[in-house]
Amino acid sequence: MMRGIHQNFDQQQAPAFFARGPSPLARLTFFTALSLALMATDSRLQYLANVRENLMTLLHPLQVIANAPLQLYQNTDEYFSTHHHLLADNARLKKQALMQGIALQRLNLLNLENANLRSMLDAKQSLAETSTLAEIIHVGRDSFTKKIIVNRGKNHHVVTGAAAVDAKGVIGQVTRTYPSSSEITLITDKSLAIPVQIERNGLRAIAFGHGRDNTLDLPYLPANVDIKRGDKLVTSGIDGVYPAGLAVATVIEMRTTQDSPFAHIICAPTGGVENDRQVLLVSIPKIELETLIETPASEKSNPAPATIPAAANTPVAASAATQTTQTVQAAKPATASSVNNPAQKPLANVESRPHARQ
Amino acid sequence: MRDNKLRSIYLSLFAAFICILFPWSGIALTLRPDFMLLVIIFWLLRAPNQCSVGTAWFMGLWVDLATGGIFGQYALAYTITTFFAVIYQRRLVLFSSTQQLVYVFSLLFLSQLILLILKAFAGHEFAGWSYFLPSVTGILLWQIAVSLGLNTGRHSHGN
Repeated sequence: MMRGIHQNFDQQQAPAFFARGPSPLARLTFFTALSLALMATDSRLQYLANVRENLMTLLHPLQVIANAPLQLYQNTDEYFSTHHHLLADNARLKKQALMQGIALQRLNLLNLENANLRSMLDAKQSLAETSTLAEIIHVGRDSFTKKIIVNRGKNHHVVTGAAAVDAKGVIGQVTRTYPSSSEITLITDKSLAIPVQIERNGLRAIAFGHGRDNTLDLPYLPANVDIKRGDKLVTSGIDGVYPAGLAVATVIEMRTTQDSPFAHIICAPTGGVENDRQVLLVSIPKIELETLIETPASEKSNPAPATIPAAANTPVAASAATQTTQTVQAAKPATASSVNNPAQKPLANVESRPHARQ
Repeated sequence: MRDNKLRSIYLSLFAAFICILFPWSGIALTLRPDFMLLVIIFWLLRAPNQCSVGTAWFMGLWVDLATGGIFGQYALAYTITTFFAVIYQRRLVLFSSTQQLVYVFSLLFLSQLILLILKAFAGHEFAGWSYFLPSVTGILLWQIAVSLGLNTGRHSHGN
Protein backbone atom coordinates (compact mmCIF):
# COMPACT_ATOMS: atom_id res chain seq x y z
CA MET A 1 0.00 0.00 0.00
CA MET A 2 2.85 2.32 0.94
CA ARG A 3 4.43 1.72 -2.46
CA GLY A 4 1.18 2.70 -4.05
CA ILE A 5 1.14 5.93 -2.10
CA HIS A 6 4.72 6.63 -3.12
CA GLN A 7 3.95 6.17 -6.78
CA ASN A 8 0.97 8.38 -6.38
CA PHE A 9 3.11 11.19 -4.99
CA ASP A 10 5.76 10.79 -7.65
CA GLN A 11 3.15 11.27 -10.28
CA GLN A 12 1.57 14.16 -8.44
CA GLN A 13 4.77 16.02 -7.81
CA ALA A 14 6.02 15.75 -11.36
CA PRO A 15 4.86 19.19 -12.60
CA ALA A 16 6.44 22.07 -10.67
CA PHE A 17 3.03 23.68 -10.77
CA PHE A 18 1.81 21.24 -8.14
CA ALA A 19 4.99 21.22 -6.04
CA ARG A 20 4.24 20.87 -2.35
CA GLY A 21 7.68 20.53 -0.83
CA PRO A 22 8.58 17.31 0.97
CA SER A 23 6.15 14.44 0.49
CA PRO A 24 3.45 13.99 3.14
CA LEU A 25 5.01 10.69 4.15
CA ALA A 26 8.34 12.39 4.84
CA ARG A 27 6.57 15.07 6.85
CA LEU A 28 4.60 12.46 8.73
CA THR A 29 7.78 10.57 9.65
CA PHE A 30 9.60 13.72 10.68
CA PHE A 31 6.85 15.19 12.84
CA THR A 32 5.88 11.84 14.35
CA ALA A 33 9.49 11.31 15.42
CA LEU A 34 9.55 14.84 16.82
CA SER A 35 6.33 14.26 18.78
CA LEU A 36 7.57 10.96 20.18
CA ALA A 37 10.84 12.56 21.21
CA LEU A 38 8.93 15.38 22.91
CA MET A 39 6.70 12.95 24.76
CA ALA A 40 9.65 10.92 25.97
CA THR A 41 11.48 14.05 27.10
CA ASP A 42 8.49 15.53 28.85
CA SER A 43 7.43 12.41 30.68
CA ARG A 44 10.87 11.18 31.76
CA LEU A 45 13.07 14.26 32.01
CA GLN A 46 12.57 17.67 33.54
CA TYR A 47 13.95 19.85 30.73
CA LEU A 48 10.59 21.02 29.47
CA ALA A 49 9.20 22.30 32.79
CA ASN A 50 10.77 25.72 32.26
CA VAL A 51 9.66 25.88 28.64
CA ARG A 52 6.11 25.05 29.68
CA GLU A 53 6.18 27.71 32.36
CA ASN A 54 7.34 30.40 29.94
CA LEU A 55 4.79 29.41 27.33
CA MET A 56 2.06 29.46 29.97
CA THR A 57 3.05 33.05 30.79
CA LEU A 58 2.57 33.84 27.10
CA LEU A 59 -0.76 32.06 27.15
CA HIS A 60 -2.10 33.88 30.19
CA PRO A 61 -3.45 36.98 28.35
CA LEU A 62 -5.27 34.69 25.91
CA GLN A 63 -6.77 32.81 28.83
CA VAL A 64 -8.00 36.08 30.32
CA ILE A 65 -9.61 36.98 26.98
CA ALA A 66 -11.25 33.56 26.73
CA ASN A 67 -12.58 33.86 30.28
CA ALA A 68 -13.95 37.34 29.73
CA PRO A 69 -17.43 36.35 28.43
CA LEU A 70 -18.14 34.06 31.36
CA GLN A 71 -16.78 36.63 33.80
CA LEU A 72 -19.02 39.26 32.28
CA TYR A 73 -22.02 36.97 32.51
CA GLN A 74 -21.32 36.19 36.15
CA ASN A 75 -20.84 39.83 37.01
CA THR A 76 -24.11 40.88 35.38
CA ASP A 77 -25.83 37.91 36.99
CA GLU A 78 -24.63 39.08 40.38
CA TYR A 79 -25.73 42.61 39.62
CA PHE A 80 -29.25 41.52 38.80
CA SER A 81 -29.62 39.05 41.65
CA THR A 82 -32.91 39.58 43.40
CA HIS A 83 -33.58 41.39 46.63
CA HIS A 84 -35.10 38.29 48.15
CA HIS A 85 -32.08 36.21 47.24
CA LEU A 86 -29.71 38.72 48.84
CA LEU A 87 -31.78 38.87 52.03
CA ALA A 88 -31.80 35.08 52.36
CA ASP A 89 -28.07 34.99 51.75
CA ASN A 90 -27.47 37.69 54.33
CA ALA A 91 -29.53 35.92 56.96
CA ARG A 92 -27.72 32.66 56.32
CA LEU A 93 -24.30 34.29 56.53
CA LYS A 94 -25.19 36.12 59.75
CA LYS A 95 -26.26 32.87 61.34
CA GLN A 96 -23.06 31.21 60.14
CA ALA A 97 -20.92 34.08 61.46
CA LEU A 98 -22.59 33.77 64.87
CA MET A 99 -21.99 30.04 65.04
CA GLN A 100 -18.42 30.37 63.91
CA GLY A 101 -17.82 33.31 66.26
CA ILE A 102 -18.69 31.11 69.20
CA ALA A 103 -16.48 28.31 67.88
CA LEU A 104 -13.66 30.79 67.33
CA GLN A 105 -13.82 32.05 70.92
CA ARG A 106 -13.48 28.50 72.14
CA LEU A 107 -10.65 27.93 69.66
CA ASN A 108 -8.68 30.88 71.03
CA LEU A 109 -9.03 29.48 74.51
CA LEU A 110 -8.01 26.03 73.33
CA ASN A 111 -5.00 27.42 71.45
CA LEU A 112 -3.83 29.18 74.58
CA GLU A 113 -4.35 26.05 76.63
CA ASN A 114 -2.55 23.97 74.03
CA ALA A 115 0.42 26.33 73.98
CA ASN A 116 0.61 26.17 77.77
CA LEU A 117 0.46 22.40 77.81
CA ARG A 118 3.08 22.16 75.10
CA SER A 119 5.43 24.45 76.98
CA MET A 120 4.88 22.39 80.15
CA LEU A 121 5.67 19.19 78.27
CA ASP A 122 8.61 20.83 76.47
CA ALA A 123 7.07 19.62 73.20
CA LYS A 124 7.50 21.16 69.79
CA GLN A 125 5.20 24.01 68.75
CA SER A 126 2.96 23.25 65.83
CA LEU A 127 3.62 25.37 62.79
CA ALA A 128 1.15 27.91 61.52
CA GLU A 129 0.15 27.27 57.90
CA THR A 130 0.15 30.00 55.30
CA SER A 131 -2.85 30.19 53.04
CA THR A 132 -3.87 31.94 49.85
CA LEU A 133 -7.40 32.33 48.56
CA ALA A 134 -7.66 31.43 44.90
CA GLU A 135 -10.44 31.35 42.37
CA ILE A 136 -10.90 28.59 39.81
CA ILE A 137 -10.25 29.88 36.28
CA HIS A 138 -11.29 26.72 34.49
CA VAL A 139 -11.43 23.00 34.93
CA GLY A 140 -8.87 20.84 33.17
CA ARG A 141 -9.49 20.26 29.46
CA ASP A 142 -8.18 16.73 29.53
CA SER A 143 -11.08 14.34 30.08
CA PHE A 144 -8.73 11.68 31.45
CA THR A 145 -7.48 13.65 34.44
CA LYS A 146 -9.24 15.57 37.18
CA LYS A 147 -7.55 18.91 37.35
CA ILE A 148 -8.48 22.53 37.87
CA ILE A 149 -6.58 25.72 37.16
CA VAL A 150 -6.72 28.55 39.69
CA ASN A 151 -5.74 32.19 39.39
CA ARG A 152 -2.92 32.26 41.94
CA GLY A 153 0.62 31.23 41.10
CA LYS A 154 4.27 31.71 41.86
CA ASN A 155 3.82 35.49 41.96
CA HIS A 156 1.44 34.96 44.88
CA HIS A 157 3.84 32.58 46.66
CA VAL A 158 1.90 29.43 45.85
CA VAL A 159 4.23 26.45 46.06
CA THR A 160 3.97 23.04 44.46
CA GLY A 161 2.60 20.58 46.97
CA ALA A 162 0.29 22.98 48.78
CA ALA A 163 -3.07 21.53 49.79
CA ALA A 164 -6.23 22.90 48.19
CA VAL A 165 -9.09 23.17 50.65
CA ASP A 166 -12.61 24.54 50.50
CA ALA A 167 -15.13 25.26 53.26
CA LYS A 168 -16.08 21.61 53.56
CA GLY A 169 -12.82 19.75 53.14
CA VAL A 170 -9.75 18.92 51.12
CA ILE A 171 -10.25 19.00 47.37
CA GLY A 172 -6.74 18.45 46.03
CA GLN A 173 -3.13 19.41 45.83
CA VAL A 174 -1.15 21.94 43.78
CA THR A 175 0.86 19.96 41.23
CA ARG A 176 2.20 22.64 38.91
CA THR A 177 2.78 26.31 39.48
CA TYR A 178 3.00 28.95 36.77
CA PRO A 179 3.71 32.67 37.32
CA SER A 180 0.09 33.69 37.67
CA SER A 181 -1.85 30.46 37.78
CA SER A 182 -1.44 27.00 39.17
CA GLU A 183 -2.76 23.55 38.47
CA ILE A 184 -4.54 21.59 41.18
CA THR A 185 -4.94 17.84 40.89
CA LEU A 186 -8.19 16.86 42.58
CA ILE A 187 -8.31 14.08 45.15
CA THR A 188 -10.53 12.14 42.78
CA ASP A 189 -7.72 11.96 40.20
CA LYS A 190 -6.22 8.54 39.78
CA SER A 191 -2.68 9.70 40.34
CA LEU A 192 -3.30 11.42 43.67
CA ALA A 193 -3.04 9.67 47.02
CA ILE A 194 -3.83 11.27 50.34
CA PRO A 195 -2.98 9.91 53.80
CA VAL A 196 -6.13 9.75 55.90
CA GLN A 197 -7.32 8.64 59.27
CA ILE A 198 -10.74 7.29 60.24
CA GLU A 199 -12.20 9.89 62.57
CA ARG A 200 -14.01 7.30 64.68
CA ASN A 201 -11.10 5.02 65.59
CA GLY A 202 -7.95 6.77 64.38
CA LEU A 203 -7.10 4.02 61.88
CA ARG A 204 -4.63 5.29 59.29
CA ALA A 205 -4.94 4.55 55.59
CA ILE A 206 -4.18 6.04 52.22
CA ALA A 207 -7.00 7.12 49.93
CA PHE A 208 -6.57 7.02 46.17
CA GLY A 209 -8.66 8.85 43.62
CA HIS A 210 -10.85 6.60 41.51
CA GLY A 211 -10.43 8.59 38.31
CA ARG A 212 -13.74 8.10 36.57
CA ASP A 213 -16.48 8.67 39.12
CA ASN A 214 -16.14 11.35 41.74
CA THR A 215 -15.08 8.88 44.39
CA LEU A 216 -12.04 7.73 46.31
CA ASP A 217 -10.86 4.21 47.04
CA LEU A 218 -9.29 2.83 50.19
CA PRO A 219 -7.36 -0.13 48.82
CA TYR A 220 -5.11 -2.65 50.57
CA LEU A 221 -7.10 -2.81 53.79
CA PRO A 222 -7.90 -6.29 55.15
CA ALA A 223 -11.42 -7.62 54.82
CA ASN A 224 -11.95 -7.53 58.58
CA VAL A 225 -10.97 -3.85 58.91
CA ASP A 226 -13.05 -1.74 61.28
CA ILE A 227 -14.62 0.62 58.78
CA LYS A 228 -18.33 1.18 58.45
CA ARG A 229 -20.57 3.04 56.08
CA GLY A 230 -20.75 6.70 57.08
CA ASP A 231 -17.29 6.80 58.65
CA LYS A 232 -15.55 10.10 58.13
CA LEU A 233 -12.02 10.29 56.79
CA VAL A 234 -9.82 13.18 57.87
CA THR A 235 -6.25 14.02 56.89
CA SER A 236 -3.79 12.37 59.21
CA GLY A 237 -1.11 14.99 58.65
CA ILE A 238 1.74 12.48 58.71
CA ASP A 239 2.76 13.39 55.18
CA GLY A 240 3.66 16.97 56.08
CA VAL A 241 1.63 18.20 53.11
CA TYR A 242 -1.90 18.42 54.43
CA PRO A 243 -2.60 19.98 57.81
CA ALA A 244 -4.02 17.31 60.14
CA GLY A 245 -7.73 16.95 60.79
CA LEU A 246 -9.23 18.30 57.58
CA ALA A 247 -12.27 16.45 56.31
CA VAL A 248 -11.58 14.44 53.17
CA ALA A 249 -14.37 11.97 52.46
CA THR A 250 -17.17 9.84 53.81
CA VAL A 251 -17.34 6.09 53.35
CA ILE A 252 -20.34 5.30 51.16
CA GLU A 253 -19.73 1.64 50.47
CA MET A 254 -17.88 -1.12 52.28
CA ARG A 255 -17.96 -4.52 50.66
CA THR A 256 -16.03 -7.72 51.12
CA THR A 257 -15.91 -10.51 48.61
CA GLN A 258 -14.97 -14.16 49.04
CA ASP A 259 -12.24 -14.11 46.45
CA SER A 260 -10.31 -11.10 47.71
CA PRO A 261 -8.45 -10.70 51.01
CA PHE A 262 -8.96 -6.95 50.77
CA ALA A 263 -12.03 -4.90 51.55
CA HIS A 264 -13.62 -2.91 48.78
CA ILE A 265 -14.18 0.57 50.21
CA ILE A 266 -15.58 3.51 48.27
CA CYS A 267 -15.73 7.03 49.67
CA ALA A 268 -17.35 10.25 48.49
CA PRO A 269 -15.32 13.44 48.88
CA THR A 270 -16.64 15.90 51.45
CA GLY A 271 -15.35 19.05 49.74
CA GLY A 272 -17.12 20.48 46.74
CA VAL A 273 -14.70 18.88 44.29
CA GLU A 274 -16.86 19.70 41.28
CA ASN A 275 -18.84 22.75 42.22
CA ASP A 276 -16.93 25.43 44.09
CA ARG A 277 -15.35 28.54 42.71
CA GLN A 278 -13.10 29.55 45.58
CA VAL A 279 -10.41 27.38 47.08
CA LEU A 280 -7.89 27.98 49.83
CA LEU A 281 -4.32 26.92 49.11
CA VAL A 282 -2.74 25.91 52.38
CA SER A 283 0.97 25.26 52.58
CA ILE A 284 3.00 24.26 55.57
CA PRO A 285 6.08 26.53 55.47
CA LYS A 286 9.22 24.80 54.34
CA ILE A 287 11.37 27.92 54.89
CA GLU A 288 12.07 26.62 58.38
CA LEU A 289 14.76 24.46 56.84
CA GLU A 290 16.84 27.50 55.88
CA THR A 291 16.40 29.32 59.18
CA LEU A 292 17.43 26.12 60.88
CA ILE A 293 20.83 26.30 59.24
CA GLU A 294 21.27 30.01 59.73
CA THR A 295 20.17 30.63 63.30
CA PRO A 296 22.77 28.65 65.26
CA ALA A 297 25.61 30.32 63.39
CA SER A 298 24.33 33.81 64.01
CA GLU A 299 23.27 33.60 67.61
CA LYS A 300 26.26 31.77 69.08
CA SER A 301 29.85 32.86 69.42
CA ASN A 302 31.26 29.43 68.52
CA PRO A 303 29.69 28.56 65.18
CA ALA A 304 31.72 25.42 64.44
CA PRO A 305 29.97 22.85 66.70
CA ALA A 306 26.58 24.43 66.08
CA THR A 307 26.58 24.20 62.29
CA ILE A 308 27.72 20.59 62.13
CA PRO A 309 24.66 19.09 63.82
CA ALA A 310 22.45 21.38 61.77
CA ALA A 311 24.06 20.16 58.59
CA ALA A 312 23.73 16.61 59.82
CA ASN A 313 20.03 17.12 60.31
CA THR A 314 19.37 18.62 56.90
CA PRO A 315 19.76 15.47 54.79
CA VAL A 316 17.27 13.71 57.05
CA ALA A 317 14.74 16.44 56.47
CA ALA A 318 15.44 16.59 52.77
CA SER A 319 15.38 12.87 52.12
CA ALA A 320 12.14 12.17 53.92
CA ALA A 321 10.07 14.22 51.53
CA THR A 322 6.79 12.91 52.85
CA GLN A 323 7.47 13.85 56.44
CA THR A 324 9.43 17.03 55.89
CA THR A 325 7.61 19.24 58.34
CA GLN A 326 7.61 16.85 61.21
CA THR A 327 11.27 16.18 60.79
CA VAL A 328 12.00 19.86 60.60
CA GLN A 329 9.95 20.49 63.68
CA ALA A 330 11.70 17.66 65.37
CA ALA A 331 15.10 18.81 64.27
CA LYS A 332 14.65 22.26 65.73
CA PRO A 333 14.73 21.42 69.45
CA ALA A 334 17.45 18.93 68.68
CA THR A 335 19.67 21.61 67.21
CA ALA A 336 18.89 24.02 70.00
CA SER A 337 19.93 21.55 72.64
CA SER A 338 22.97 20.44 70.72
CA VAL A 339 24.30 23.98 70.73
CA ASN A 340 24.88 23.61 74.42
CA ASN A 341 25.80 19.95 74.44
CA PRO A 342 26.55 18.33 71.07
CA ALA A 343 26.73 14.84 72.59
CA GLN A 344 23.05 15.01 73.53
CA LYS A 345 21.96 15.41 69.91
CA PRO A 346 21.20 11.90 68.66
CA LEU A 347 19.04 11.06 71.66
CA ALA A 348 17.05 14.28 71.41
CA ASN A 349 16.52 13.73 67.72
CA VAL A 350 15.08 10.26 68.19
CA GLU A 351 12.85 11.34 71.04
CA SER A 352 11.31 14.25 69.26
CA ARG A 353 10.54 12.37 66.06
CA PRO A 354 6.84 11.75 65.91
CA HIS A 355 7.18 8.46 64.05
CA ALA A 356 9.36 6.98 66.73
CA ARG A 357 6.53 7.39 69.18
CA GLN A 358 3.74 6.08 66.98
CA MET B 1 -4.31 37.10 -2.38
CA ARG B 2 -1.88 34.57 -0.97
CA ASP B 3 -1.07 36.82 1.99
CA ASN B 4 -4.76 37.35 2.53
CA LYS B 5 -5.32 33.63 2.66
CA LEU B 6 -2.40 33.12 5.05
CA ARG B 7 -3.80 35.79 7.31
CA SER B 8 -7.23 34.17 7.38
CA ILE B 9 -5.63 30.78 8.08
CA TYR B 10 -3.76 32.12 11.08
CA LEU B 11 -6.73 34.13 12.30
CA SER B 12 -9.03 31.11 12.15
CA LEU B 13 -6.47 28.89 13.89
CA PHE B 14 -6.14 31.54 16.56
CA ALA B 15 -9.92 31.73 16.93
CA ALA B 16 -10.09 27.94 17.27
CA PHE B 17 -7.44 28.09 19.97
CA ILE B 18 -9.43 30.72 21.88
CA CYS B 19 -12.48 28.44 21.58
CA ILE B 20 -10.46 25.68 23.24
CA LEU B 21 -9.39 28.09 25.98
CA PHE B 22 -13.00 28.91 26.93
CA PRO B 23 -13.76 27.73 30.45
CA TRP B 24 -15.72 24.63 29.40
CA SER B 25 -16.99 22.44 32.18
CA GLY B 26 -19.29 19.51 32.84
CA ILE B 27 -21.46 18.38 29.92
CA ALA B 28 -20.13 21.13 27.67
CA LEU B 29 -16.62 19.77 28.14
CA THR B 30 -17.73 16.26 27.20
CA LEU B 31 -19.45 17.56 24.10
CA ARG B 32 -16.85 20.12 23.08
CA PRO B 33 -15.78 19.45 19.50
CA ASP B 34 -12.12 19.62 18.59
CA PHE B 35 -12.26 23.10 17.05
CA MET B 36 -8.59 23.11 16.23
CA LEU B 37 -8.66 19.90 14.21
CA LEU B 38 -11.81 20.99 12.36
CA VAL B 39 -10.18 24.25 11.31
CA ILE B 40 -6.99 22.44 10.31
CA ILE B 41 -8.92 19.91 8.18
CA PHE B 42 -10.88 22.73 6.59
CA TRP B 43 -7.70 24.54 5.55
CA LEU B 44 -6.09 21.28 4.40
CA LEU B 45 -8.91 20.96 1.90
CA ARG B 46 -9.06 24.62 0.95
CA ALA B 47 -5.40 25.61 0.95
CA PRO B 48 -3.18 22.52 1.00
CA ASN B 49 -0.14 24.58 0.02
CA GLN B 50 -0.34 26.88 3.01
CA CYS B 51 -1.59 24.51 5.68
CA SER B 52 -0.02 21.10 6.02
CA VAL B 53 1.23 18.48 8.44
CA GLY B 54 3.72 20.94 9.95
CA THR B 55 1.00 23.46 10.77
CA ALA B 56 -1.06 20.74 12.40
CA TRP B 57 1.91 19.59 14.46
CA PHE B 58 2.65 23.13 15.62
CA MET B 59 -0.97 23.82 16.60
CA GLY B 60 -1.06 20.43 18.32
CA LEU B 61 1.75 21.61 20.56
CA TRP B 62 -0.32 24.62 21.62
CA VAL B 63 -3.31 22.42 22.35
CA ASP B 64 -1.00 20.21 24.41
CA LEU B 65 0.03 23.25 26.38
CA ALA B 66 -3.58 24.29 26.93
CA THR B 67 -4.66 20.84 28.11
CA GLY B 68 -1.67 20.58 30.43
CA GLY B 69 -0.87 17.04 29.37
CA ILE B 70 2.44 15.64 28.21
CA PHE B 71 3.90 17.61 25.30
CA GLY B 72 3.47 15.92 21.95
CA GLN B 73 0.22 13.97 22.45
CA TYR B 74 -2.07 16.23 20.46
CA ALA B 75 0.83 17.06 18.16
CA LEU B 76 1.19 13.38 17.26
CA ALA B 77 -2.56 12.84 16.91
CA TYR B 78 -2.92 15.87 14.64
CA THR B 79 0.14 14.89 12.58
CA ILE B 80 -1.17 11.41 11.80
CA THR B 81 -4.72 12.64 11.20
CA THR B 82 -3.67 15.39 8.83
CA PHE B 83 -1.46 12.93 6.96
CA PHE B 84 -4.57 10.92 6.11
CA ALA B 85 -6.36 14.09 5.13
CA VAL B 86 -3.49 15.22 2.91
CA ILE B 87 -3.04 11.99 0.97
CA TYR B 88 -6.72 11.95 0.04
CA GLN B 89 -7.06 15.72 -0.38
CA ARG B 90 -7.46 15.58 -4.18
CA ARG B 91 -10.21 13.00 -3.92
CA LEU B 92 -11.86 14.71 -0.95
CA VAL B 93 -12.51 17.91 -2.85
CA LEU B 94 -14.37 15.85 -5.48
CA PHE B 95 -16.54 14.12 -2.89
CA SER B 96 -20.14 15.01 -2.31
CA SER B 97 -20.82 16.80 0.95
CA THR B 98 -22.12 13.60 2.61
CA GLN B 99 -19.03 11.64 1.59
CA GLN B 100 -16.88 14.45 2.88
CA LEU B 101 -18.79 14.44 6.13
CA VAL B 102 -18.16 10.73 6.61
CA TYR B 103 -14.48 11.17 5.88
CA VAL B 104 -14.16 14.13 8.28
CA PHE B 105 -15.90 12.06 10.94
CA SER B 106 -13.44 9.22 10.48
CA LEU B 107 -10.56 11.70 10.73
CA LEU B 108 -11.91 13.14 13.99
CA PHE B 109 -12.48 9.64 15.28
CA LEU B 110 -8.95 8.65 14.32
CA SER B 111 -7.41 11.54 16.20
CA GLN B 112 -9.40 10.65 19.31
CA LEU B 113 -8.40 7.02 18.94
CA ILE B 114 -4.72 7.96 18.77
CA LEU B 115 -5.10 10.12 21.87
CA LEU B 116 -6.87 7.26 23.63
CA ILE B 117 -4.02 4.88 22.81
CA LEU B 118 -1.45 7.40 24.05
CA LYS B 119 -3.44 7.90 27.26
CA ALA B 120 -3.74 4.16 27.72
CA PHE B 121 0.05 3.92 27.57
CA ALA B 122 0.20 6.55 30.31
CA GLY B 123 -2.01 4.35 32.50
CA HIS B 124 -5.38 6.06 32.14
CA GLU B 125 -8.62 4.17 31.81
CA PHE B 126 -11.14 4.36 28.99
CA ALA B 127 -13.90 6.65 30.25
CA GLY B 128 -16.73 5.04 28.28
CA TRP B 129 -18.18 5.65 24.85
CA SER B 130 -19.07 9.24 25.68
CA TYR B 131 -15.39 9.88 25.08
CA PHE B 132 -16.07 9.81 21.34
CA LEU B 133 -18.95 12.33 21.48
CA PRO B 134 -16.71 15.25 20.39
CA SER B 135 -16.35 13.55 17.00
CA VAL B 136 -20.12 13.58 16.62
CA THR B 137 -20.47 17.21 17.68
CA GLY B 138 -17.51 17.97 15.44
CA ILE B 139 -19.24 16.75 12.28
CA LEU B 140 -22.46 18.46 13.39
CA LEU B 141 -20.52 21.72 13.53
CA TRP B 142 -18.98 20.92 10.14
CA GLN B 143 -22.40 20.25 8.65
CA ILE B 144 -23.79 23.48 10.11
CA ALA B 145 -20.86 25.41 8.64
CA VAL B 146 -21.38 23.76 5.24
CA SER B 147 -25.13 24.41 5.21
CA LEU B 148 -24.45 28.03 6.12
CA GLY B 149 -22.55 28.27 2.86
CA LEU B 150 -18.95 27.59 3.88
CA ASN B 151 -17.12 26.15 0.89
CA THR B 152 -15.05 23.21 2.08
CA GLY B 153 -13.03 23.10 -1.12
CA ARG B 154 -15.55 21.09 -3.11
CA HIS B 155 -15.49 21.59 -6.86
CA SER B 156 -18.73 19.74 -7.56
CA HIS B 157 -21.02 22.76 -7.49
CA GLY B 158 -21.34 23.01 -11.21
CA ASN B 159 -18.17 24.96 -11.95
